[in-house]
Amino acid sequence: MKPLKLVVAGPVAAGKTTFVRTLSETAVVDTDEVATEAIGKASTTVAMDFGTLDVGGVPLQLFGTPGQDRFDFMWEILSEGALGLVLLVHGQRPAHFPRARDILEFITSRIPVPFVIGVTHQDLEPVWRPDEVADYFGVEHHQAVGLDATRADSAVAVLLRLLALIEEQEGASVADAPGPTPSAGEPGA
Amino acid sequence: MDKQTQLNDVIQGLRSAISELREVLIASTDGLAIAHSHGASDPNRVAAMAAATLGVGKRISTTLDLGEMRETTVKSANGQAFLYAIGGKGVLVLIAQSEANVGLINLEARDAAARLEAVL
Repeated sequence: MKPLKLVVAGPVAAGKTTFVRTLSETAVVDTDEVATEAIGKASTTVAMDFGTLDVGGVPLQLFGTPGQDRFDFMWEILSEGALGLVLLVHGQRPAHFPRARDILEFITSRIPVPFVIGVTHQDLEPVWRPDEVADYFGVEHHQAVGLDATRADSAVAVLLRLLALIEEQEGASVADAPGPTPSAGEPGA
Repeated sequence: MDKQTQLNDVIQGLRSAISELREVLIASTDGLAIAHSHGASDPNRVAAMAAATLGVGKRISTTLDLGEMRETTVKSANGQAFLYAIGGKGVLVLIAQSEANVGLINLEARDAAARLEAVL
């Protein structure tokens, strides 16, 4: 079965690299470098993250992007051939939401694929909840999911939601995926 | 001499030594332009692309056990871009026309990268 390519994008420090690392079943190819600016953490992705995993028999390839604007040429390169997008936003950084919206627009205008918004850092307080973020982005509530990028079950749930949307769009059936969201494995869910 | 002056001196030195150079740029490993030659087309863009390219090159090196990554080149129909790692601290970028003296470029640039490592 041909691997399904997914892109993981979003503003700086949203949790993209962590997300790919948590999920990947193979050694992650990442390109983290020391950050010379104050972005809230020590390192930043300068090119990409690459990981692979199998979800219910579906082989997935995850391509994580850098968050900083100056690397937007990478968003375009990495999006090529992607069938779905995970947009991550830091639940405690609403100041980054406009950036996230720009990134979403940038990518989906080039590849109009289904997307899910993952709202990270749900374990912290105060934090924006997925429904609130969905309202901000003007999307349906089921398109925004709370996420702890350090936890595999949480991360997989985001992928399952996205796979369901992809399935829906393609009208094709995908192998049943076990997991916390029973409806996700059914065609046309 | 302050750092910026030292960096500019190295850049100027390269331009003087190699007439076929279009641009010289120094970027941080996270893609910010630190110094560049006059009239450089879009230093911020070039710096980001150079850092991304070097980052991928470093990853190829470590994954394939090739040791410390040093240089990479983009050779195109109408010109070439030479990228040199400045220790672990940055990238030196030389953009030259197609019929450039690659031997001279490498000689001068490798020397410059070593000197820049001390400055950065």
